[in-house]
This record gives sequence, C-alpha cells and structure tokens, in this order.
Amino acid sequence: APARPRQVSATPAATAPAAAQGAYAGQAACLGCHAEMDYKGTLHGLASRPRTPAATHGCESCHGPGQAHAESGEASLIRNPKKQTPQQASEACVSCHNRGTHALWTGSQHDQRNVGCITCHSVHTPKGPAQLKAASQKELCATCHRPVTNKQHRFSHMPVREGKLECSSCHNTHGSTNQSLLKTGTTVDESCTSCHAEKRGPYLWEHAPVANACVTCHDPHGSNNERMLAAKVPFLCQRCHVTSRHPPTVYDGFVRNNSTNANKIIGRGCVVCHSQIHGSNAPSGKSFLR
Amino acid sequence: QTPAASEARSRAVTGVVDVGARGTSGSGDEARYERYRDLRTGVFSHLVFGSADESRIWSAGAENVGYRNQEYVFRYAGGPVTLKGGFDSTPLNYSYLTSTPWRMDSPGVFSLDAAARGQVQGRVPGVVGVPSSVAQLSTPSIFRGLANPFDLRSRRDTASASVAVDATRALGWSLAFTSTGKTGSQPYGASFAFNNANELPLPIDHRTNDVSAGLEYTREQGMVRLGWQASWFTNAIQELIWDNPLRQTDTTPFDASGYSNGNGPARGRLAMAPSNHMAAVNVTGLYKMPGRTTVNGVFAFTTMGQNDTLIPWTINNAIANPSVYGTYPGLASLPRPTAEAKVHGVNGMVNVTSRPNRVFSLTTRYRFNDHRNLTPAFDARQYVRFDAAPYSGGSFSQNFNIRQNTFDTTAAFNLRPSSTLRVGYTFDDFDRTGRSFSDMRDHIVRASFDQMGNQWVTVRLSADHTTREGFGFSEASLEDGGLQPGVRFYDESDRNRNRGTALVVLTPASFMDVTFTATAGKDIYKGEGHEFGLLNNTNRSLNVGLNVSPGEHASFGFSIGREMFNSLQRSRNANPPGTDYGSWTDPNRTWDLTNDEQVNIVDVYVDLAKLFRAFDLRADYLYSDSDNGFVHSGPRVVALSTNAALTPGDSRPCTAGLTSCFEALPNVTNAWHRVTLDGTRYFTEKVGIGVSYWYERFDVTDFARVDLAGTALPRIDYLGEINTGYGNRPYRGSSIFTRLLYRF
Repeated sequence: APARPRQVSATPAATAPAAAQGAYAGQAACLGCHAEMDYKGTLHGLASRPRTPAATHGCESCHGPGQAHAESGEASLIRNPKKQTPQQASEACVSCHNRGTHALWTGSQHDQRNVGCITCHSVHTPKGPAQLKAASQKELCATCHRPVTNKQHRFSHMPVREGKLECSSCHNTHGSTNQSLLKTGTTVDESCTSCHAEKRGPYLWEHAPVANACVTCHDPHGSNNERMLAAKVPFLCQRCHVTSRHPPTVYDGFVRNNSTNANKIIGRGCVVCHSQIHGSNAPSGKSFLR
Repeated sequence: QTPAASEARSRAVTGVVDVGARGTSGSGDEARYERYRDLRTGVFSHLVFGSADESRIWSAGAENVGYRNQEYVFRYAGGPVTLKGGFDSTPLNYSYLTSTPWRMDSPGVFSLDAAARGQVQGRVPGVVGVPSSVAQLSTPSIFRGLANPFDLRSRRDTASASVAVDATRALGWSLAFTSTGKTGSQPYGASFAFNNANELPLPIDHRTNDVSAGLEYTREQGMVRLGWQASWFTNAIQELIWDNPLRQTDTTPFDASGYSNGNGPARGRLAMAPSNHMAAVNVTGLYKMPGRTTVNGVFAFTTMGQNDTLIPWTINNAIANPSVYGTYPGLASLPRPTAEAKVHGVNGMVNVTSRPNRVFSLTTRYRFNDHRNLTPAFDARQYVRFDAAPYSGGSFSQNFNIRQNTFDTTAAFNLRPSSTLRVGYTFDDFDRTGRSFSDMRDHIVRASFDQMGNQWVTVRLSADHTTREGFGFSEASLEDGGLQPGVRFYDESDRNRNRGTALVVLTPASFMDVTFTATAGKDIYKGEGHEFGLLNNTNRSLNVGLNVSPGEHASFGFSIGREMFNSLQRSRNANPPGTDYGSWTDPNRTWDLTNDEQVNIVDVYVDLAKLFRAFDLRADYLYSDSDNGFVHSGPRVVALSTNAALTPGDSRPCTAGLTSCFEALPNVTNAWHRVTLDGTRYFTEKVGIGVSYWYERFDVTDFARVDLAGTALPRIDYLGEINTGYGNRPYRGSSIFTRLLYRF
C-alpha cells in the first residue's frame, strides 16, 4: 500500500531527577504494573545477546534500579526518559549504543540541538523500522526538515518516494566525519560516488567543482530541473563560464527558434557537447568533449 | 499451558501474504509514471515473514516478485550474530517515446545508414541531415525517417550480505559485501561540432563491488574501531564510437574549423568512465572522561585510482597520420599509454563535548581533510577538438587538490530546564590548487534557540551568518581559461550568507498538533573586481501542517507549503580579446539573467482504521507545482530587442528587416498530482481483501523540449541537433490493485 506522509510531533521533554539509585526489582516486578511496556520481540528483548537489556537488567537496564519505585510506587524514584532532557535521556542509550554508526553521536549536530534518541525512536511503541516513531524515515525527518523532504515531490528526484532509498541511505543522523551528516566518505563527492562509482575517477581531466562537491551543480533532494540540477541548463553553466563566444551568448527564445545554437538550449543543453562534464579520460578531453 | 507450549507459540512464524492483480494504464510520457518502479499489468506481491523470541529474531520479505523493481530482504539476529542480506532492483525509466536512427552494432559502437550519410555529405537537394535553418525545419531530417523507437531505461541490481558478531561482550567484528550491477542505456551527448550535436542511447554495463570490515573493542569508558573499506568499479564499455550524421568519410584534409562548421570526421570516439578502485582504512575512537566530557574522533586514509588504457588522440584518420604530425608533433603519440591517475586522502576529526553541569555545555570540533591528486600532469598542449580539428592552444592537465581545516565550537546555555540557547563559531580554511583563489576562509557565527518540554508548544529557531573571503586570487588562471577577468566562481568567491529557520509546533490538545516551518536564506557574492557570474540568490519557504488523531483508529491532516527561489547572474556576450572591435571589454555587451521560481506543495491525508468492523481506509493527495521564470535584461538585451545597436563582429542572424532579435523565454511550469486510495477488509482473523488505487498526473511546459508540430510527441531533429527525443513531457497514469490478504 502507498506510504502516507504525516507529521510527527517532536516529543517534549521536561527535567526530572536522573538515574534512580539502589537495588533492582527485576523485570517481572516492572511488567506486573507496566505490562503494556513489554519489549519482547524487539532487539532489546534478545536475551541471547550479551549486551541487550533482556540479557542484563531487563527494564532496569535503561530505567535504572527500581526496587524503591516498585515498593513505593513513587514515580520520581525511577528514571523516566520522557521526563528528562533529550541529552540526559540519550545518556542511557549511548551507554550501550556507543559503537558502529552511533560512535560519533555525542556532540553531533542533532545531539547539539536537543534532538535525543527518543525524539525519533520509541523503545515501547515504535511505528516504523529501527523502532522509529513514524512509519518511515521520510515521515519522521519531515517533522523538522519539511522544506527538504518536500523536494522529493519535484519531478526530478531520487527514488525516495518510491521507497527505494531513504534518508539514511545517504545520511547518518547519529554523527559523521563528513559534512551534512553524510554517511559515507569524507567529502560530498566521496559520498555521492559511493553509489555513482562511474563518476569517481580520478580522471585525466577533472572538472573543478566535481572534484570538490557534486552539490555545486546538483540538488540531491530533488529539483524541478532535469538531472536534479540546481538550476536549468544552459543558465547553470553560465553562472561560471563567462568566457567568449558561445558560453555567454544570450540564450533566449530567438536563439532557440532561429539558430543552430538552439542545441545549447533544448534537451541536454551544454552537456550535449560537453558530455564528459564529470571528467574525461580521453587525451583530447580537456574541454570534456571526448 | 506448559513452558514448552508457550515457547513453541512464541517461535511461530508470523507474517502477511498480500498477493493479487495489478492493472496499469497511462498516456503521454508513461516512463515518468514508472520512473523508479515497475507497474506493468500483472501479478502483484508483497510477502513478509518473521519470528521473534528471546533467543533469535528473523524476518524475510519479498516485493513485486519477478518485476524490474523486485526486492528481497532477510535479517537474522540471534545470540552474538546478526546477518543481513538482500537483493534489490531499481529501474530508471527515462522514456518510452524515444527513437534513434543510430543502430548499435556492438556494445558502444553505433552506426548510421551509410546511404543517408552519403546523401547528406553530397548535399543532395532536398536532403536535410542536421537541420541548420528555420527553413529546413519544414523538411524532416532524413534520419528522422530512419529512426527506430526504443525504450530508454536502465536498471540497478544490488545484492548485499553482511555479518556482525559480538565475539565477546567487549569485542565485535563485522563484514559486509555489496555488489551492484547497472545495465541498460541512458541519454548521452555525442557531438561533432557546434552545429552538429547528437544524443545517443549510451549503453550501460558496469559493476561495483564493495567490501567493508570492522573490528571493535568496547568498554564502558569508550571504544575503538578499526575499519577497512574497498570498492572496485568495472566498466565493461570502455569507449563509445558513433557515426557522424553529416559525414560518411573523414573531411580530408581536415578543416581547421571543422569543430564549428561540421566538416569533421566520419566517426567520433568518446572515452567512457574508467574502471577504478578505492580503499580506505580508518580508526574511530570514543572515550568518556570525568565531568561528563566525551572525546570521539576518526582518522582515515583513503586511496583512489585508475589506470585505464587511454584511447588515441582521435579516431579521425585525416588527422592521425604522419603528414599532420609534422605540424602537430604532439599528436604523434600519447605522452603515456595509461591514465596513471590516483588520489590520496587523509581525514581526521576530533570532537570534545563537555557538559560539566546542567546549565552549560561546550562542544569543540577540529576536522582536517586532505584530498591530494597525484596524477602526473598530462601534456595536451596539442590535442584534437571534436575529432574534427587539431589544436595547439591546449595545456597540461591540472590537479585540483583541496586541504581543508575546520575548527568549530558551540556553547550551550540551558536557560531553563527545557530551553537552550546556543551560540557557535566555525572557521573553515580551504587551501587549494588549480582554482582562481588558492585559499578561501569561511567565518561562520550562529545561534539557535530550542524550547522543548512544554506541553503546548515546541520552538526551534536558528540563524547563521557566513563571511567567505578568498585569498591568493590569480587573474592569470582565469585568462588561461579564456574567462573574463571579472568572473568569480560561486563556489569560491567572496560571499556573505545569511540563513534562518523557525519551527513551531503547537499542541493545543493531545490529539492535535499544528506545525509552522519557515526558512529564509540569502547569498550575496561580492569582492573586489567581481563583475560576472552568480551575483546573489535567495530562498524562502513557509509550511503549515495539521495533524489530528481524534481516536485510536483515525487520523487526518494536511501540510501546505510555498517555496520561492531567486537568483541574479551577469555575463558578457563577447569575442576573445583582439578578435574584433573590442567586444571583450564593451559594457554594452553585458547582460543579466534573473531566475525566479515559485513552488507550491499540498499534502492531505486521511487514515481511518476500523472504519466499520474490520475495514481500513487510507487516502492521500499530494500536489506539487513549479513556476520558473527566466528574465534577461541589461544593455546587450536592450540592443538585441531594438535590433539597432548591434556591434561589429556580431554573429546573431537578426538582419532581414527584423525589428527585434530577442524573444523572452516563456516560464517553465509543471504541476504534479498524486492520489492514493487503499482499502482493506478482513473477513476473518486471518483472511481479507484489499483494493488500492493510484493516480498521477503531470503537466509541464518547458522550452527545452521539442515536439512534433501539433502533438505531444518528441521531435528528434531540430536546429543543430539529432537527439533521442528524451525530454520533460506530461503524463497521466493510474494503477489499480486487487489483493488477497492472509496474515498469520
């Protein structure tokens, strides 16, 4: 069935005392009152894995020792992440999720902006994969990044709305060595060429912006220009190529309708000739014509 | 019940079998309806299986089995082992309306009808090859009649498998392999001259194999990870060879203006993307210190390279012969037989985050990135343009090296338990070679305010200001490239950038939220001597969303937004210095282009589960449009509009009594609608039926598209070009699914 975009509110959080101290009550005691919070069937419930809550202190792995809370019923005697600041709440999560793709969480862009683990994930009532609080990443990320996710509805787009890619295909929201939380590589072009390896080169002849950042010319989130270009050709190329003769020609309707220079306005525009614009491996490829 | 019975039940396989029939119909550019999917009429399938208990969890699924977008996934987690695997096909359907007169004789080798080429070369009266005048447009190109229709599309198939093992509580390792093959064709330029541009269906046949491995050691105080990644890209098509529509034989002797007038070779040759490889090793570390201070960082070393055999200077035998080498000795042989291209990269990053108390925190980051291209310079002081004409105005190849140092620090103050004010500063230094500025530095100051924890309202505000300064400007580097000395490239020029975002979420009741999102940004490109290029751009957006969930089984809402983009660029329509009266420096040759785009977006949804009994209904409507204007102005445009002040050396054909030889370009507009309806009804606990309906409509006007007169079908022969007909065309498409559901 088709996915339905929907907004999801960021979870408000207030402050509360941090971790409870004391003895453990045991998971059975917790579920005795909070049966609806059972996490069986999730990775947290995998008792055969040494680092999971099920293999350690159960509910109290995250919520802290709860004997005092269990005996008194006093809410303040147990750690409730929803009543902590996002960063406080995340501390419990990163005590285990501190490796792999989560290793650079602390100090990352989202962490700095008070986006915590439970802003996006729900341990007990997830709606999507990876225990997300929304049915899909696009839906979840739209909560804060609506102008970006809207671009998926442009006619020139990556296959996100078709379900073949998702935000995390390119981004690691948990922290990254690259800019813009890109998941792969250390520069924008290294991230893009991890899939578009045919443009990785290195070429004999390189186009300077390609060697730096693909986003100089492309908008990977979607565009109303062919090939997700940031502006329409030939005008995009003319933003830099103010040379002589054909590049700075006024490409208007007259040229389109009357001149053989129309081939620079219709169809592929400049790249119908400069087809090797991402780089050329031909000895005569200096101008990316071969 | 016994514990054994309970365990058996928890181990039971659950899932959904959702199969049925799909019918699809459409009109217009139907490939766009199926851009990244396969909606052909036939069998539809969606299968999910899984099982979970305390010892292991596994799941498997399949989508659209047997179709071009089929997908299979498998996941297992049990004990210390996690396994993942899958296969995915993603089509990229460009157009089903395309046609081409070229025939592919073998992968990458295209031929054109010899007799037709002979007639064009022989200038047989009434025969048009590539139309070059308005008068010729009324006579179809001889190649239009020879063109055969074909589906222009490609497909990416990805198979992947990974394993991760927690060998001990502290030690873990992982290994992943992905193999991606891409086949099919894509539209690609393959031209011979300014008046002889062509587009072919370039065949695609390449594969990328990626391997990664990691070893991690984790303790309560921190972790360290050693990682390795490698990637091999292999392109089965090394070159593209294709016939010239204007020439059956090489122009002999070569015409020095062949790259311009079309008197070029019989065939052309392009080098395709080289097979290449990449490898990286990295070390990642994390250490928690007293005082709620955490240090994490990465150090990585990367190599990339390729050593493909180089194609010759040209395929044109009128140039590749000893008599020409006497004048152009540089073309007698290649400086080296293979590319010998390689790049080394070094990247390091350290984050220190300290939260000593609940009021104050400080995050500091240093990042270093060095991209060093070690490819030996390639001597192309003499080379061949368009396979048509040798040229002595070339150069050595140039490497673009980038060394970036970034220092970033952010201080956060928790004004109240739920309100945080942050201020930050970033210094970014880029040291580069091969560019007009050898160094550029960004100074970024920013502030943000986040108010959370309030039951009624969440507020997120941010603003930043960037000042970019370029250093080491080389006017000579611009002049070497034939550029106006007043041009500045927008990815390196002096620039002021201001940006701001605001997000407000109101929650007047627990079942309702209203979200307001606003963004604005403006870049002003400036600096001493900056006259040409992109001068400024702005963007603004406003979005309002409402979500209502009055009950457990019902929700509805909408989102509506408008985005506006504007840019101004300046150029000069001039000939090179010394070639005419001095147009190079003539301000009357200067022109501007203002680009304005407005985008509207609407999204409305209704989700009614258990509408009555076991009937679920979901409906969604999406709309997005764009109105993109291109307004030329400036002295040059005034002169063209009045046709009165055209200067010497002007080549525009606006004589013959025309009062104006300027025509404004019409706006490029589009509007896209999508409706989806999905209803399911379960008759028993396990068995149900479903009906889904998808509808899309796309309307577009675009001056870059050329249609056959009076139709919405592509015209492949137009002024100066023979293309495939690929373009931005309207479509309508709808699909209906009837489904049988069985859940267990």
